[in-house]
Amino acid sequence: MTMYTITLVNRGDATYQVDGKKTLLESLRAQGVDLPYGCKYGGCITCAAKITKGSVNQTAQVALNNRQINDGYVILCVARPTSDCTFEIGVESHDQLYRNPFLDPLKPHELKADVATPLKDSSEELL
Amino acid sequence: MECCGPGYASPAEAMKAPCERLLYTIAIYTGTGIQKPDYLCTIDADPDSRTYSQVISRLEMPGIGDELHHMGWNACSSCHGDAGMERKYLIVPGVRTSTLHIVDCATDPRNPTLFKVIEGSEIKTKTNLSAPHTVHCLGSEIIISMLGDAQGRAPGGYLHLDKNFEIIGRWENSMGDIKFGYDFWYQPRHNVMVSSEWAAPNTFMPGFDLEEVGHLKYGRELHFWDFEKKEPVQTMYLGEDGLIPLEVRFHHDPASSHGFVGAALSANIIHWWKDDAGEWRWEKIIDVENEPHPEWPIPIPGVISVILLSMDDRFLYFCNWLHGDIRQYDISDPHNPKLTGQVWMGGLLDRAPVVNGVTVTGGPQMIQLSLDGKRLYVTTSLFSTWDNQFYPEIRTNGGCMLMVNCDTEGGGMEIDPDFVVDFGKEPNGPSRCHETRYPGGDCTSDIWL
Ligand code: FES
Repeated sequence: MTMYTITLVNRGDATYQVDGKKTLLESLRAQGVDLPYGCKYGGCITCAAKITKGSVNQTAQVALNNRQINDGYVILCVARPTSDCTFEIGVESHDQLYRNPFLDPLKPHELKADVATPLKDSSEELL
Repeated sequence: MECCGPGYASPAEAMKAPCERLLYTIAIYTGTGIQKPDYLCTIDADPDSRTYSQVISRLEMPGIGDELHHMGWNACSSCHGDAGMERKYLIVPGVRTSTLHIVDCATDPRNPTLFKVIEGSEIKTKTNLSAPHTVHCLGSEIIISMLGDAQGRAPGGYLHLDKNFEIIGRWENSMGDIKFGYDFWYQPRHNVMVSSEWAAPNTFMPGFDLEEVGHLKYGRELHFWDFEKKEPVQTMYLGEDGLIPLEVRFHHDPASSHGFVGAALSANIIHWWKDDAGEWRWEKIIDVENEPHPEWPIPIPGVISVILLSMDDRFLYFCNWLHGDIRQYDISDPHNPKLTGQVWMGGLLDRAPVVNGVTVTGGPQMIQLSLDGKRLYVTTSLFSTWDNQFYPEIRTNGGCMLMVNCDTEGGGMEIDPDFVVDFGKEPNGPSRCHETRYPGGDCTSDIWL
């Protein structure tokens, strides 16, 4: 069993030991962290949190578009840690999650993975 | 016809019913950051009462994060002839958890209580469906449009419950080529049901990416069903005129074949009817222009999130949630609607930021009309994630409920100066209000056989 340390910055830097095989939502809730969630299959965005350090595997998620992923959002109900991680959790972490599509449209590569146009090379992202 | 079942013998009888004294309105904390359950509010609508225009009781759901949204009665005028039935229970689904709450509103109408819970996990296991939306009773049974399969993929289907709220299974025999689900209404004398299209739960729940409309992730079709055979028989491709067709309303008159749907993103009203040759036809009858915003690259569509017909089928009401207006049209001739009234509250165009002393955050969204057609109750929140995109201040301000007085003679609307419920002042913090129903039935509950 590979264990990782999860730090929650907006919970006074509290730390938790979690199993890399379990979802972060499951592990953190089991240790008493009060987290919002809805569908539990990665489709509704309710459980989104922002990662500031570390890495996760969240390939099962279908809620986030590429811009949200680039902004550090993680779907805790399906994400499993692949290193020690630091998160900001709950709605307090959602400052960049929602955007008005008429004010701030997505670029083709920022859509959800299944409809996004991939960037040809990474330098384009800077344009 | 002397009868003792629920509802009324006809729409004309319904219009003579006593005025509503209580309102049941959904309020949510899902997506607000307040870790409390969503709840059903009871609001005092009796102008002679000391607690008029106040929340007088709150029924919390057992879980957190349901996102209560729409709801429906266990019985309506479709079982008016059945003395064994009673309009007693509201079925209150959670869109995000798929859990159904059966609420007893009749034992003590001022303090509804939770009668039964059907867990989303049970529904998913037994029917492979999720994301409940519209609830209609069907004689003594209940069908609920479910917008996704157990993994939130479209098109979902219809959940069938018996009158004791036991799961019978899937209602439909086939979904045909339907891509998405949302609202539905049936008109039994024409053996027809009409259903509309939002998107897959996995698409709409996280929020609205406008760009996904072009990738065909949102609906643009209307489906006509053989109601007895429980299968779709005809699809109307509405195209650019019908992007995201949401609320579906037939005339209340059970003999009529006329119906209407609001295309939310195109901001059009689509009318359908059966022509003399027995063919279903459709046409666009109202087109709300997009409004430019001085600083935004894309003009703002009205986003018609709701439509409703008065009980006498004379007036059509709808809201432009992003513009901030509610409109009243005389549809005596359904092919030629005439604009007869308009009021403003909230919205992104800044026409009426404060009403009755309350800052309106959000725009006019769900509406419910009294049976006599004179009082229209309006709430301002659409869906938590979409609220957060378009009206982020709703997190701190909460939603609000207003009432509009409607002139049923010559047409016209006016916001009532004495009625306002500020959900920003709820005891557990700012919440958001959504659909409303009345104990005696309302203009979107009852269907006549
Ligand atoms: S709970 Fe729905 S995405 Fe995680």
